[in-house]
Amino acid sequence: MNALTQDEVILELNHLFAEEVEAALRYLHLSNAIRGLDHLVVGPVLKRGYQETIEHAEVIAHKIRSLGAVPNLEVNISLGPEKIDGKQALELALTFEEAALEAYQDCLRRIEGDVPLEEFIRSQIVVESEHVAELKQLLVE
Amino acid sequence: MDIWKEFDQNVITHSAAHHLMAIDDLIGRLGYARVSDIARQLNITRGSVSISLGPLKKAGLVEQDENRHLRLSERGQALVAAIKTKRHLMQRLLAEVLGVEPDQAEIDACKLEHLLSNETAQRLLSFMRFLDSEPDRGREFVEAWRASDEHCD
Repeated sequence: MNALTQDEVILELNHLFAEEVEAALRYLHLSNAIRGLDHLVVGPVLKRGYQETIEHAEVIAHKIRSLGAVPNLEVNISLGPEKIDGKQALELALTFEEAALEAYQDCLRRIEGDVPLEEFIRSQIVVESEHVAELKQLLVE
Repeated sequence: MDIWKEFDQNVITHSAAHHLMAIDDLIGRLGYARVSDIARQLNITRGSVSISLGPLKKAGLVEQDENRHLRLSERGQALVAAIKTKRHLMQRLLAEVLGVEPDQAEIDACKLEHLLSNETAQRLLSFMRFLDSEPDRGREFVEAWRASDEHCD
Protein backbone atom coordinates (compact mmCIF):
# COMPACT_ATOMS: atom_id res chain seq x y z
CA MET A 1 0.00 0.00 0.00
CA ASN A 2 1.31 3.46 -0.89
CA ALA A 3 2.10 5.64 2.10
CA LEU A 4 -0.23 8.56 2.55
CA THR A 5 1.09 12.07 2.01
CA GLN A 6 1.08 14.42 4.98
CA ASP A 7 -1.97 16.22 3.57
CA GLU A 8 -3.82 12.91 3.27
CA VAL A 9 -2.92 12.01 6.86
CA ILE A 10 -4.21 15.39 8.02
CA LEU A 11 -7.42 14.81 6.07
CA GLU A 12 -7.86 11.42 7.78
CA LEU A 13 -7.30 13.03 11.17
CA ASN A 14 -9.74 15.83 10.38
CA HIS A 15 -12.41 13.23 9.65
CA LEU A 16 -11.74 11.60 13.02
CA PHE A 17 -11.74 15.02 14.69
CA ALA A 18 -15.21 15.71 13.24
CA GLU A 19 -16.48 12.29 14.42
CA GLU A 20 -15.32 13.01 17.96
CA VAL A 21 -16.60 16.59 18.16
CA GLU A 22 -19.95 15.55 16.76
CA ALA A 23 -20.16 12.60 19.17
CA ALA A 24 -19.41 14.99 22.05
CA LEU A 25 -22.23 17.30 20.95
CA ARG A 26 -24.57 14.33 20.69
CA TYR A 27 -23.62 13.14 24.18
CA LEU A 28 -24.19 16.64 25.56
CA HIS A 29 -27.58 16.81 23.89
CA LEU A 30 -28.61 13.29 24.91
CA SER A 31 -27.64 13.88 28.52
CA ASN A 32 -30.09 16.79 28.58
CA ALA A 33 -32.84 15.12 26.56
CA ILE A 34 -33.55 12.42 29.13
CA ARG A 35 -35.80 13.12 32.08
CA GLY A 36 -36.72 11.81 35.52
CA LEU A 37 -35.22 8.65 36.89
CA ASP A 38 -33.48 7.90 33.60
CA HIS A 39 -31.67 11.22 33.93
CA LEU A 40 -30.37 10.17 37.33
CA VAL A 41 -29.30 6.73 36.16
CA VAL A 42 -28.11 7.22 32.57
CA GLY A 43 -27.22 10.92 32.75
CA PRO A 44 -23.81 10.38 34.39
CA VAL A 45 -22.86 7.77 31.75
CA LEU A 46 -23.69 10.22 28.97
CA LYS A 47 -21.89 13.10 30.68
CA ARG A 48 -18.80 10.92 31.03
CA GLY A 49 -19.17 10.05 27.35
CA TYR A 50 -19.24 13.76 26.55
CA GLN A 51 -16.10 14.45 28.55
CA GLU A 52 -14.21 11.51 27.07
CA THR A 53 -15.12 12.29 23.47
CA ILE A 54 -14.13 15.94 23.93
CA GLU A 55 -10.80 14.72 25.29
CA HIS A 56 -10.41 12.44 22.25
CA ALA A 57 -11.16 15.38 19.98
CA GLU A 58 -8.47 17.38 21.76
CA VAL A 59 -5.97 14.55 21.34
CA ILE A 60 -6.73 14.37 17.60
CA ALA A 61 -6.50 18.16 17.31
CA HIS A 62 -3.13 18.04 19.06
CA LYS A 63 -1.98 15.38 16.60
CA ILE A 64 -3.07 17.57 13.66
CA ARG A 65 -1.23 20.54 15.16
CA SER A 66 1.89 18.45 15.64
CA LEU A 67 1.84 17.86 11.87
CA GLY A 68 1.92 21.60 11.32
CA ALA A 69 -1.75 22.05 10.42
CA VAL A 70 -4.82 23.58 12.02
CA PRO A 71 -7.84 21.29 12.55
CA ASN A 72 -10.49 21.79 9.91
CA LEU A 73 -13.88 21.19 11.44
CA GLU A 74 -17.10 20.79 9.50
CA VAL A 75 -20.01 19.64 11.64
CA ASN A 76 -23.55 19.82 10.39
CA ILE A 77 -26.11 18.38 12.78
CA SER A 78 -29.49 19.33 14.05
CA LEU A 79 -30.54 17.87 17.40
CA GLY A 80 -34.24 18.19 18.09
CA PRO A 81 -36.17 19.05 21.26
CA GLU A 82 -37.78 15.61 21.69
CA LYS A 83 -37.46 13.95 25.10
CA ILE A 84 -36.12 10.41 25.02
CA ASP A 85 -35.75 7.65 27.56
CA GLY A 86 -32.50 6.28 28.90
CA LYS A 87 -32.51 3.15 26.74
CA GLN A 88 -33.04 5.14 23.56
CA ALA A 89 -30.21 7.48 24.56
CA LEU A 90 -27.85 4.56 25.14
CA GLU A 91 -28.86 2.98 21.81
CA LEU A 92 -28.11 6.21 19.99
CA ALA A 93 -24.80 6.54 21.81
CA LEU A 94 -23.92 2.99 20.81
CA THR A 95 -24.76 3.79 17.18
CA PHE A 96 -22.40 6.76 16.92
CA GLU A 97 -19.69 5.15 19.08
CA GLU A 98 -19.68 2.11 16.77
CA ALA A 99 -19.45 4.45 13.78
CA ALA A 100 -16.46 6.21 15.37
CA LEU A 101 -14.79 2.88 16.11
CA GLU A 102 -15.21 1.82 12.47
CA ALA A 103 -13.78 5.16 11.36
CA TYR A 104 -10.63 4.50 13.44
CA GLN A 105 -10.39 0.92 12.13
CA ASP A 106 -10.64 2.12 8.52
CA CYS A 107 -8.09 4.84 9.20
CA LEU A 108 -5.68 2.24 10.59
CA ARG A 109 -5.86 0.26 7.33
CA ARG A 110 -5.11 3.37 5.29
CA ILE A 111 -2.14 4.61 7.30
CA GLU A 112 -0.37 1.24 7.32
CA GLY A 113 3.40 1.80 7.44
CA ASP A 114 3.35 5.02 9.46
CA VAL A 115 4.30 3.31 12.75
CA PRO A 116 3.85 6.22 15.22
CA LEU A 117 0.49 7.13 13.73
CA GLU A 118 -0.53 3.46 13.63
CA GLU A 119 0.24 3.19 17.33
CA PHE A 120 -1.72 6.33 18.06
CA ILE A 121 -4.77 5.08 16.13
CA ARG A 122 -4.48 1.64 17.77
CA SER A 123 -4.57 3.24 21.20
CA GLN A 124 -7.70 5.16 20.17
CA ILE A 125 -9.27 1.92 18.92
CA VAL A 126 -8.70 0.33 22.31
CA VAL A 127 -10.47 3.21 24.07
CA GLU A 128 -13.33 3.32 21.55
CA SER A 129 -13.78 -0.46 21.83
CA GLU A 130 -14.09 -0.08 25.59
CA HIS A 131 -16.80 2.57 25.11
CA VAL A 132 -18.73 0.33 22.75
CA ALA A 133 -18.41 -2.65 25.10
CA GLU A 134 -19.60 -0.58 28.07
CA LEU A 135 -22.64 0.70 26.20
CA LYS A 136 -23.51 -2.81 24.99
CA GLN A 137 -23.23 -4.08 28.54
CA LEU A 138 -25.50 -1.33 29.86
CA LEU A 139 -28.08 -2.14 27.22
CA VAL A 140 -28.30 -5.82 28.13
CA GLU A 141 -28.36 -5.24 31.89
CA MET B 1 -55.53 19.55 7.50
CA ASP B 2 -53.36 22.61 8.12
CA ILE B 3 -50.69 22.94 5.49
CA TRP B 4 -47.87 23.10 8.02
CA LYS B 5 -49.04 19.83 9.55
CA GLU B 6 -49.05 18.19 6.15
CA PHE B 7 -45.51 19.49 5.68
CA ASP B 8 -44.48 17.80 8.92
CA GLN B 9 -46.09 14.54 7.89
CA ASN B 10 -44.01 13.98 4.80
CA VAL B 11 -42.89 10.40 4.44
CA ILE B 12 -39.25 11.34 4.66
CA THR B 13 -37.13 14.30 5.59
CA HIS B 14 -34.77 16.13 3.26
CA SER B 15 -31.81 14.44 4.94
CA ALA B 16 -33.43 11.00 4.63
CA ALA B 17 -34.07 11.60 0.93
CA HIS B 18 -30.39 12.39 0.47
CA HIS B 19 -29.34 9.23 2.28
CA LEU B 20 -31.63 7.09 0.12
CA MET B 21 -30.43 8.79 -3.07
CA ALA B 22 -26.81 8.33 -1.98
CA ILE B 23 -27.33 4.59 -1.44
CA ASP B 24 -28.97 4.31 -4.85
CA ASP B 25 -26.18 6.30 -6.52
CA LEU B 26 -23.37 4.35 -4.81
CA ILE B 27 -24.87 0.98 -5.69
CA GLY B 28 -25.24 2.18 -9.28
CA ARG B 29 -21.61 3.34 -9.45
CA LEU B 30 -19.75 0.94 -7.14
CA GLY B 31 -22.11 -1.99 -6.77
CA TYR B 32 -22.25 -1.50 -3.00
CA ALA B 33 -22.91 1.15 -0.38
CA ARG B 34 -21.40 1.28 3.08
CA VAL B 35 -21.80 3.84 5.84
CA SER B 36 -18.31 5.19 5.07
CA ASP B 37 -19.18 5.64 1.37
CA ILE B 38 -22.35 7.55 2.21
CA ALA B 39 -20.47 9.73 4.70
CA ARG B 40 -17.89 10.59 2.03
CA GLN B 41 -20.52 11.25 -0.62
CA LEU B 42 -22.63 13.51 1.60
CA ASN B 43 -19.60 15.03 3.33
CA ILE B 44 -20.88 14.25 6.81
CA THR B 45 -19.61 12.05 9.62
CA ARG B 46 -20.21 8.32 9.87
CA GLY B 47 -21.92 8.96 13.16
CA SER B 48 -24.47 11.15 11.40
CA VAL B 49 -25.02 8.56 8.67
CA SER B 50 -25.49 5.75 11.19
CA ILE B 51 -27.97 7.80 13.22
CA SER B 52 -29.91 8.82 10.08
CA LEU B 53 -30.06 5.25 8.80
CA GLY B 54 -31.74 4.01 12.00
CA PRO B 55 -35.25 5.32 11.20
CA LEU B 56 -34.87 4.34 7.54
CA LYS B 57 -34.08 0.76 8.53
CA LYS B 58 -36.94 0.77 11.01
CA ALA B 59 -39.29 2.04 8.29
CA GLY B 60 -38.21 -0.86 6.07
CA LEU B 61 -36.68 1.38 3.40
CA VAL B 62 -33.06 0.31 3.89
CA GLU B 63 -31.59 -3.10 4.64
CA GLN B 64 -28.10 -4.04 5.79
CA ASP B 65 -26.42 -7.42 5.20
CA GLU B 66 -23.90 -9.24 7.39
CA ASN B 67 -21.02 -7.45 5.58
CA ARG B 68 -22.59 -4.14 6.58
CA HIS B 69 -23.44 -3.39 2.96
CA LEU B 70 -26.59 -1.34 2.59
CA ARG B 71 -29.29 -1.70 0.01
CA LEU B 72 -32.71 -0.26 -0.66
CA SER B 73 -35.74 -2.42 -0.04
CA GLU B 74 -38.43 -2.57 -2.72
CA ARG B 75 -40.25 0.25 -0.96
CA GLY B 76 -37.01 2.19 -0.70
CA GLN B 77 -36.36 1.77 -4.41
CA ALA B 78 -39.88 2.90 -5.26
CA LEU B 79 -39.43 5.96 -3.06
CA VAL B 80 -36.11 6.84 -4.69
CA ALA B 81 -37.63 6.42 -8.15
CA ALA B 82 -40.47 8.77 -7.17
CA ILE B 83 -38.05 11.34 -5.73
CA LYS B 84 -35.90 11.20 -8.88
CA THR B 85 -38.93 11.69 -11.10
CA LYS B 86 -40.14 14.63 -9.01
CA ARG B 87 -36.68 16.20 -9.04
CA HIS B 88 -36.46 15.81 -12.82
CA LEU B 89 -39.93 17.29 -13.35
CA MET B 90 -39.27 20.22 -11.02
CA GLN B 91 -35.91 20.87 -12.67
CA ARG B 92 -37.51 20.95 -16.11
CA LEU B 93 -40.37 23.16 -14.97
CA LEU B 94 -38.04 25.64 -13.31
CA ALA B 95 -35.41 25.74 -16.07
CA GLU B 96 -37.34 25.14 -19.28
CA VAL B 97 -40.63 26.82 -18.46
CA LEU B 98 -39.88 29.43 -15.81
CA GLY B 99 -36.42 30.23 -17.16
CA VAL B 100 -34.57 29.73 -13.89
CA GLU B 101 -30.79 29.29 -14.36
CA PRO B 102 -30.00 25.55 -14.62
CA ASP B 103 -27.77 25.50 -11.51
CA GLN B 104 -30.41 27.28 -9.43
CA ALA B 105 -33.13 25.05 -10.88
CA GLU B 106 -31.15 22.01 -9.77
CA ILE B 107 -30.71 23.37 -6.24
CA ASP B 108 -34.39 24.28 -5.88
CA ALA B 109 -35.57 21.00 -7.39
CA CYS B 110 -33.38 19.21 -4.84
CA LYS B 111 -35.09 21.15 -2.03
CA LEU B 112 -38.57 20.34 -3.31
CA GLU B 113 -38.23 16.80 -4.64
CA HIS B 114 -39.33 15.00 -1.47
CA LEU B 115 -42.01 17.54 -0.50
CA LEU B 116 -44.09 17.37 -3.65
CA SER B 117 -47.24 15.26 -3.34
CA ASN B 118 -47.80 12.46 -5.84
CA GLU B 119 -50.93 14.22 -7.05
CA THR B 120 -49.06 17.42 -7.88
CA ALA B 121 -46.24 15.46 -9.48
CA GLN B 122 -48.81 13.68 -11.64
CA ARG B 123 -50.26 17.02 -12.80
CA LEU B 124 -46.78 18.34 -13.45
CA LEU B 125 -45.93 15.25 -15.48
CA SER B 126 -49.07 15.72 -17.53
CA PHE B 127 -48.18 19.39 -18.11
CA MET B 128 -44.61 18.62 -19.19
CA ARG B 129 -45.91 15.86 -21.48
CA PHE B 130 -48.25 18.37 -23.08
CA LEU B 131 -45.32 20.74 -23.70
CA ASP B 132 -43.31 17.88 -25.18
CA SER B 133 -46.13 16.63 -27.38
CA GLU B 134 -47.03 20.06 -28.68
CA PRO B 135 -43.61 21.70 -29.08
CA ASP B 136 -44.81 24.67 -31.15
CA ARG B 137 -47.78 25.49 -28.95
CA GLY B 138 -45.69 24.81 -25.87
CA ARG B 139 -42.95 27.19 -27.01
CA GLU B 140 -45.54 29.80 -27.92
CA PHE B 141 -47.12 29.48 -24.48
CA VAL B 142 -43.80 29.78 -22.66
CA GLU B 143 -42.65 32.69 -24.82
CA ALA B 144 -45.95 34.53 -24.31
CA TRP B 145 -45.65 34.13 -20.57
CA ARG B 146 -41.99 35.17 -20.54
CA ALA B 147 -42.76 38.23 -22.66
CA SER B 148 -45.36 39.31 -20.14
CA ASP B 149 -42.96 38.94 -17.27
CA GLU B 150 -40.71 41.99 -16.99
CA HIS B 151 -38.10 40.02 -15.09
CA CYS B 152 -37.53 37.62 -17.97
CA ASP B 153 -35.01 38.28 -20.74
